[in-house]
Amino acid sequence: MGRMSAPGGAPAAPSGGTAVVERPDADSLTQTPWVTIVWDDPVNLMSYVAHVFTQYFHYPRAKAEKLMMEVHTKGKAVVSSGSREAMERDVNAMHDFGLWATLDRSE
Amino acid sequence: MKRFERRGKKLVTSFEPEEVQLLQSLVQQLVELITEHGRRVEESTPAPAQPDDPFAFWERDLREHPDQPEVPEDPVLQRLFPDAYPHDPRASSDFRRFTEQDARAAKLAAAQVVLDGLASCRDGRDLKVPLDQADAWLKTLTNLRLSLATRLQITDAESAELLSELPEDDPRAFLYGVYEWLAFAQETLVQSL
Repeated sequence: MGRMSAPGGAPAAPSGGTAVVERPDADSLTQTPWVTIVWDDPVNLMSYVAHVFTQYFHYPRAKAEKLMMEVHTKGKAVVSSGSREAMERDVNAMHDFGLWATLDRSE
Repeated sequence: MKRFERRGKKLVTSFEPEEVQLLQSLVQQLVELITEHGRRVEESTPAPAQPDDPFAFWERDLREHPDQPEVPEDPVLQRLFPDAYPHDPRASSDFRRFTEQDARAAKLAAAQVVLDGLASCRDGRDLKVPLDQADAWLKTLTNLRLSLATRLQITDAESAELLSELPEDDPRAFLYGVYEWLAFAQETLVQSL
């Protein structure tokens, strides 16, 4: 899975041997990390949501329970943070478990 | 059915024959829904361009960046494959394009584990789920519950509460009963781990 930006934007190479400066990626300029957010839903069982957090993220039981309660009481919780690519992987995994998850930039 | 209980490296329960049939039928419907969706997505996606044909590649590249994301119309599919970027349709569309084929395959593989398990517990034999198949079962039970909840329009705790008070002759009462039964199966499966 790649970074989900559109391809293109690579500058045309000049005919000489001049080095080409690649256009810097917007993310690396701002250095803003991304987060995976899990949202509350009326279907998923609390025990299952905690299980997913221990199973996938390998969080200790206490942390998984705390995050699950945060989802349940506050409506959402940030469950992981990191590069956009890593967060897309996490969101994809949460969807595979049937949890409602989205990516966002860290606030 | 009984609660799932752990015996060694297996999670064991027993289903009534009707329960096996019901679960098989629900999982098959899920498989059909996801398979049919995959077929539609693939039909709308042009075949991969030959690497030595730049025009075909560009044409495909342009067509693969539509103005609108290919969000499935069926609300069940929308819930099974939600938008990853709620405020960015373009990024959500890209995410779908890069991940959804594998996501569909993963859900189908988990469903197949359940169908195989159910096939092995006909004739009243106990269902024995090996520990390494527990997540496939949990995910599939979740996908079934999400599907039923969408059809039953369970959007919050209150709407679920209202469904639990329906008279028995209401057509939704049966589906809600199934939904609750799946919750029992899932809850006891998690607890047995």
